[in-house]
This record gives sequence, C-alpha cells and structure tokens, in this order.
Amino acid sequence: MDGQLLSETFVELTDTMVADFDVIDFLQMLTDRSAQLLDVSAAGLLLADPRGELRVVAASSEAARLLELLQVQVGQGPCLDCFRSGRAVTATDLSTDPRWPRFAEAAAEAGLGAVQALPMRLREQVIGALNLFRAAPGDFDPVNVRVGQALADVATIGLLQERTMRRRDTLNEQLQAALNSRVVIEQAKGKLAERLGLDMDQAFNVLRDRARASNLRLSDLARGFIDGTQNITWPNSGPAA
Amino acid sequence: MVLCSVKDNRLARIWGLVAAQAARRGGRVEAGDVCAAALAAVEVTGAWLSAASGLQAGHLMQVTDEVSEQLAELQLTLGEGPSIDVAAFGGPALASDLAERESGRRWPAFAPAACQAGAGAVFAFPLAIGAIQAGVLGLYRDKPGRLSDVQLGDALLLADTATLLLLDAQAGQVDGVGEYDGHDGHDGHDGHDGLGGQQAELTRHRAEIDQATGMLTEQLDVGITEAFTRLRAYAYANDLRLADVARDIVARRLRLNPDPGLFRDGE
Repeated sequence: MDGQLLSETFVELTDTMVADFDVIDFLQMLTDRSAQLLDVSAAGLLLADPRGELRVVAASSEAARLLELLQVQVGQGPCLDCFRSGRAVTATDLSTDPRWPRFAEAAAEAGLGAVQALPMRLREQVIGALNLFRAAPGDFDPVNVRVGQALADVATIGLLQERTMRRRDTLNEQLQAALNSRVVIEQAKGKLAERLGLDMDQAFNVLRDRARASNLRLSDLARGFIDGTQNITWPNSGPAA
Repeated sequence: MVLCSVKDNRLARIWGLVAAQAARRGGRVEAGDVCAAALAAVEVTGAWLSAASGLQAGHLMQVTDEVSEQLAELQLTLGEGPSIDVAAFGGPALASDLAERESGRRWPAFAPAACQAGAGAVFAFPLAIGAIQAGVLGLYRDKPGRLSDVQLGDALLLADTATLLLLDAQAGQVDGVGEYDGHDGHDGHDGHDGLGGQQAELTRHRAEIDQATGMLTEQLDVGITEAFTRLRAYAYANDLRLADVARDIVARRLRLNPDPGLFRDGE
C-alpha cells in the first residue's frame, strides 16, 4: 500500500470534514481514494434512503456504479447482504460463488471477479456500505481490508457528525440534498456525453476534472451546466482517450 | 422480471391514498390530492403545494386549511422560510420545533410568525428530480414533533408522487403522459403501466433515466424539464418501459428527433 497516499487521503478526508461539508464531494473522494489505495479495480458506496431503499451515492467508475445499482434492482448481492447484516461480506471468486447468481453474471460481464463489502456502521445503526471490486479472483489482502474498513468508518463519522453536532433533522436534509445532487450529476453526465460524444465514464471524468480545476462543487458545476450558466467544452488535452 | 419489494408495497399504499382523495373529489388524480393524502399518511395537521416555474416564486396550488395558506403566504411576503430554502438547496427543510433557537436562527421572521399562525413544526420538500424543479410540498403540525423515519420516508414518496403529477399538469398538451386513472401502475408485473409504474421505475432505474434525460436536452435542444417529459411521453406512446427507453438512449441505440409538430412545449 502507498503509505504516502494513505496519509494524504486521511488528511484530505479530515480537511473536508472540518471545512464546508459537501456530502457528494466527500464520498466521491472516498471511493476514488479507496480504489487507488486498496489494490482494487473500483469502489462504490451505497447509503440507505428513508424511502426504504439503498441508493448509489458515489462510485469510482461507471462499472462500479452499475454493479451497485444492479444489486438494488435485483434485490440481491454482497453489498445488500452487508448492509442487512451490518457485517463485512467477501466473495473471492464470483464465478464459483452460488450466493448471488444474477449479480455474479453482471459482475463477470463488467470484468469483475471478486468483491469485498464493508459496512458503514456506528454501534447499532447501519447507514450504508462501501464496496470494493477487483478484476481478478483471489483473497483480499487483510491489511487492505482493515484500511478499507477504516475509510468506511471515516465516511460514517463524516456523515453522522452532522447529526451530533447539529440536529438530527440536518442529516436527513443533507442526505436528501446529496441524493438529489447525485441525480443532477447523472443528468449532467448525459448532457455532456451527448454533446462531446463521450461515454458516461469519460463524461464523469471531464466533469470532475473541471470541477476541481474551477474549484467548484461537482454538483454546482453539474447544475450550472444543465441550466446553461456553466459551459463545458473539450478539455485542454483534447478528447479523452 | 418480477421485482416486488417492500418499497413497491409502500409506494402502492401511498398511491392508494392519493387515488382515494381523487375518488372522493370525483376527479382524476391531481398533484393537489397529495396534500390531503399527507394528512392521513404522515400525521400532519395541514399541507400546501406550490408549483414553481424556474426561479419564480411559487404559485400556490393547494392548501388543506387556513393555517397552511397563511404559512405559504407568509413565506412569500417575508421572502424566507422552508419552501424558499428547499428550492435553493435541493433537499428538504425539516423544522421539528419552530420555537427552538435553531429555527429562529434559520428564519428570524418566518419562525415566530409561523408559531403565531398556529404551527409548531414545518416540513418542506422540494418537488424535484435533479435539476428539474416542479414546486414544493409543505407540511405542518400544530405541535412540535419530528417526523419518524417511516413518516419521513412516506413524505418523500408523497413528494415524488406530487412531482410527477405536477410535471404532467405542466405538460398537459403532451399526448399520453397524463392519461391514467390513478388505479393503474405499481402492481409490479408490468412496466409500461402509467404514472405509478413510471414512478416505481424512476426509483429503481434512476441513473439511466437521469442520464437519458440529460442526453435528450442535447438531442432535442430543449431544457431538462421538457427533455424528461419527452422521454416519458415516448415511453408511454410506444407502450415501452421508461427504463428500457432510457437504456436504449444511453446505449445510443435510440435517438429522439425534435418534432415540434408532434409535441408542444408546455411552458
């Protein structure tokens, strides 16, 4: 594991928590860093919606986002089991794992062979799950898993600090605003993908890079792009490879 | 593909409540029916619903009692309050106790005026789908008290329902989208079954539908609200599931063509 990147990640995460807190930016950073740090292909994060379902709030790639979404759609998968039980769930080889046939099939199509689901839990309350996907089957390095759980714990604390520091209502307000921001981001991805002829992954990367470069929240840029107050053209480097 | 979850039953129950209100009136289901349904569903004293077009102040469409009306109007007069916050913020504004300091800090003029009018707690929900903004659903209790987690979930589902109904009303001229009787949909075994079915799809196939809506703004050169209306109208007119149409658009197997003769902007 890259020790330097790990310390930078924790500094970055805690910085976000003490500064003006944006749920989407925070969780997006968490999934991106998880994928980079933990020797996995992709990471995704699900949160419980009071409407009674899990929602995909952040993912490091389109493939991870679709796999998270699929589990919610078919009502089965390691991340759902993890959320329901509040315990880590591991599948080291999805091609031979009998537990979630439909999920395994979709994972194989997406080129992912192993998954580790980590609960976002504080005492009795489970608020979501962080999920790590890897292309090749095989055991997950226990050190990486521990760090992954620590990252999931940081995310949980990051979200719940809002509740303890302010009112309980605030968490629900923030969560719903974040879920709606996620929708705005998907709408903006679609618009950008169509405008520049990109796939959804590329569109998201352009959006994210542009938000960073202009020091804007991802959701603010997305909203501005949709209502026409922000224009996005080809990145300086030309078409994304 | 049969996908019946707890969530669907919950949505079905909410739809049943809303449809029952329409039946009591003897009319088709309208967004305003959500207000009366909310009283029973989430134990609130009153409700109001206002429609928004763009950044314009809300047009009050429905109130269940005098206090609700006062609460809605106070916000317009004072220029502050939960309805105004939710439009800007994108999430709900939940004030379980208008007399507490937090509420007073948030709305220095509205909070005391609302207490005076007879409200103890106010909850406002944006009627929004991402960047699409249709209006605000407001609820109040005459005594302070939080919405329980279940009540909050139900209130959010009611707001989702009101959003689609309001968008339909705004796009009244679009063929098909408004054609349902409130008794269809959400039975879980057939996708192309009107608004209830589209709402169920919207929660489950969320991202593809959102991405397709974004793509359509470019393909059709329209705003996000109209893009969404066109998407739904296409699914309805061709007897297809919303999610399937969205998936085809995202996969670039389907393009919709601008056809101003066929569709008129609802403005």
